[in-house]
Amino acid sequence: MLETRVPEEAPLGSERGYRRYHILTRPAPERFPIPPRFRVRVKKHRLVALVFKELLEYRGNLKVALSRPCVYGVFGGPLGGLTPREHLCVGCLRCCVQYPEVVQIQPNPLRKRLGDSYLRPEYVDTLLYEARTGRVPVRGAGWRGAFGGEGWDSMWTDMSEIVRPTRDGIHGREFISTQVDLGEKPGFLRFDARGEPTGPLPRVVSLPLPFLFDAPPPTAPPPLLEVLSEAARRLGTLAILPLPVCLEWGLQGSWVVPVVSEADWGEMERMRWRPQLVELEGWHPGRYAELRRRLEGSVVAVRVPMHADLSAMVQAGVRVFHLCADYHGTSGGRFAAGLLRETHARLVQAGLREEVSLLGSGGVVMAEHVPKAILCGLDAVALDTALWVALQARFEGECRSRREARVEFPSLEPSWGVQRLLNLANSWRDQLLEVLGAMGLREVRRLRGELGRAMFQEELEHEAFADIEGYAG
Amino acid sequence: MPERSESVAKHIEALHRGFDLWPTLPFHPPALGDARWTEELILSTWVQAQTGRPPASGLEYRVGRSRGGFDCLEFSFLPEDRWLAEEAPIDTSIPLNRRSDGPQPRIEIPVPWYGAGMSFGSISEQVMLARAKAAQRWRTFTCTGEGGYPESLLPYKEHVITQVATGMFGVREETILWAPIVEFKYAQGAKPGLGGHLLGDKVTAAVARMRESLPWVSLFSPFPFHSVYSVEDHKKHLDWIRAIHPQALLSVKVSTPNDVDMVAVGSYYAGAHILHLDGGYGGTGAAPEIAKKNIAMPIELAIPKVHRFLEHEGIRDELVLMASGGIRTAYDLAKAIALGADGVVLGTAELVALGCTRCGNCERGRGCPFGLTTTDPELSLLVDPEWGAERIGKLYASFEFELREILRRLGLSSVRALRGRTDLLRYRRAEGGPDGTA
Ligand code: SF4
Ligand code: SF4
Repeated sequence: MLETRVPEEAPLGSERGYRRYHILTRPAPERFPIPPRFRVRVKKHRLVALVFKELLEYRGNLKVALSRPCVYGVFGGPLGGLTPREHLCVGCLRCCVQYPEVVQIQPNPLRKRLGDSYLRPEYVDTLLYEARTGRVPVRGAGWRGAFGGEGWDSMWTDMSEIVRPTRDGIHGREFISTQVDLGEKPGFLRFDARGEPTGPLPRVVSLPLPFLFDAPPPTAPPPLLEVLSEAARRLGTLAILPLPVCLEWGLQGSWVVPVVSEADWGEMERMRWRPQLVELEGWHPGRYAELRRRLEGSVVAVRVPMHADLSAMVQAGVRVFHLCADYHGTSGGRFAAGLLRETHARLVQAGLREEVSLLGSGGVVMAEHVPKAILCGLDAVALDTALWVALQARFEGECRSRREARVEFPSLEPSWGVQRLLNLANSWRDQLLEVLGAMGLREVRRLRGELGRAMFQEELEHEAFADIEGYAG
Repeated sequence: MPERSESVAKHIEALHRGFDLWPTLPFHPPALGDARWTEELILSTWVQAQTGRPPASGLEYRVGRSRGGFDCLEFSFLPEDRWLAEEAPIDTSIPLNRRSDGPQPRIEIPVPWYGAGMSFGSISEQVMLARAKAAQRWRTFTCTGEGGYPESLLPYKEHVITQVATGMFGVREETILWAPIVEFKYAQGAKPGLGGHLLGDKVTAAVARMRESLPWVSLFSPFPFHSVYSVEDHKKHLDWIRAIHPQALLSVKVSTPNDVDMVAVGSYYAGAHILHLDGGYGGTGAAPEIAKKNIAMPIELAIPKVHRFLEHEGIRDELVLMASGGIRTAYDLAKAIALGADGVVLGTAELVALGCTRCGNCERGRGCPFGLTTTDPELSLLVDPEWGAERIGKLYASFEFELREILRRLGLSSVRALRGRTDLLRYRRAEGGPDGTA
């Protein structure tokens, strides 16, 4: 059992009667110093010379001579520009525009080393802000990045110009639901002559958010497991954890989703709780049947690589899949977006899409990736690396392979960790509301596979540029 | 306006010196610029705002490193012996009313651009004045944005567009009557599907008075117009303006959703003279990062879609298509026209001319440290309207010069002949890393 327990609070939505879903955010500043964004390099002798020159020029008027350009207090310490307070620098560059010979502002190379080639340093910045404040990142001056790009960056979401009956997000007028249902949803019900149902009944887990927490790597320290579990409980969502880990650390509860692998099968005997959802690692028809029999009432999902062909499993009656890509969002050499679109389309063609739930993980590291993954066909997303970064974990090298990724987790203070994840969840939910509101969608369930509301760079460029010389598609 | 102190005068002098000096130094500020507005584009805009000509020093002034859109397009110029002669007359004017119906005047502007809406509150009154003075000198327009119409702009009213947005801040009968063009802002590219957003810190007493709201209370414009659920409702809105001011041209500013082509047609039938398409990557005010990058399409992709659809519907020559949302350079504007726009609307480029470093701190603390997007009484003094008008005017002069050069090298004697000429463009796929670096 874990020794340090997070003080328990009632999970969201557990109150009696109707309460609108609301995540309580609180400031949760970083516990470990992060390198400042900028380095402020002051040539001290030139600064002193400048002050003397200005004292002469302004006839000894200290107020004018010592009036400095920075409005953020970087030079506001006792020794002014001689000891700049770098952590306050926001990189506006006013100081170096005014005094190029005295001060230079440089992007801090240490900051550039955060994350990896997929979860880029600017993503780390955003995640830290979201986990710290629980707020939607807002900035001035338009988009600063690339035109489009690879992966999720190669698509945009639609908006509705006028006909838009819903609005939530920042104004909080009308309700937009972020609830999703995962489970087995038969296309229709059968009843006998007495009106009793005879066929399979729906087995569904409803979550107030379209995201869950996926299992961390084996190096995850016990407090991290506890943080994931408790944050999931409070949010009313689920934490996916390997069965032996759940058993070893006493992490049990309907919100804990044990992953059962062939090797762990013997441990099933020790399971004392009834999960809402359980995952079978890989496709083993016999084990699947047994799991369903043993955990009657639980939804059973099969966890397979995202590029797997689901047809045999669907035929065998599996209705919930957890499709796993690596942490950079690829599986079988392809990126998640394309794979998900194909899987979704195949299920639609087979007339089964409404009966099946698709959960996906890997490569969803920014708030905008959630609606994009859902547009491509997922019902919900299991989060991984983004959560760890929010908890100030650091990657050693590329954090790509689920087996080999090396992640250094800091020593965690559990209630701080829980609050960071609650903040992150709130920020991402609010951003999801912005996206849904802009589209005029009243619930996230309607976003699933709604490709007419997605815009793909390749297709749009082809439409716009096909007749331009040199455009090769 | 408050008086400048000696400290403010000192900073103004140092800033002006810095704007002139930086582009001439052998190194660039290492933290300046991003993939869209590279350090060279920012510095070359400062040169243009100083000299009225593109830099001759080799600084890049045409494209950024965003690896797509305008940055991958270039013109297929004619061989030099087929260029038009340097003294050949080239017409850069465009009409803003091409409808064959209605009593509205046939307004023309001598250059194919005007200034975008930036509201009082999101920018200072000094910056508004600078823009209005420049618009008057160039016989084009600037736009109030949605924050009301400061009376200090009245001397320039023949060159000021009144914007009517969902919040209706400061919209009064007289502000509509003052304007030769009234712009309905349905959406904006930087935050498509979301309303405007002015944080409480910027809502000073003067801003609140203008917007008929309370000081220091954040202001959100709703989205969308809650009285508009159909093209018929949209027409009702335009009719309402027409009833008040029958002579005004009507502009409709929209973002770039999937069905932007249908929106354009709807606006035409509702009676719009100008369709102002605002792509996702521009914007000067505060916006959620998720909206800037992810919602709605970039302007480069929306222009040809709308242009072709209007052609297909047989109404292309009745509607003026103005494009904005990431027009940084004279080359961008010419490419936008070649893709199908009649002209463009400039926003950020004007702010960069006034010293914006694109740092993105517009909403932080007291607002812009360069006195641009701020209502702080002291910081606002950093921009003198006359100095600002001069800088914007010089940027316009450089853009006009470059546009003439582009047309001359394409063998075109009028910018109107460039519209929709995608055959004069070439696509060059970007090389290098994610931000275009090697
Ligand atoms: S860059 Fe801006 S915030 Fe940083 S020290 Fe200079 S003036 Fe201050
Ligand atoms: S705060 Fe920065 S980005 Fe905003 S206007 Fe000022 S210089 Fe430009």
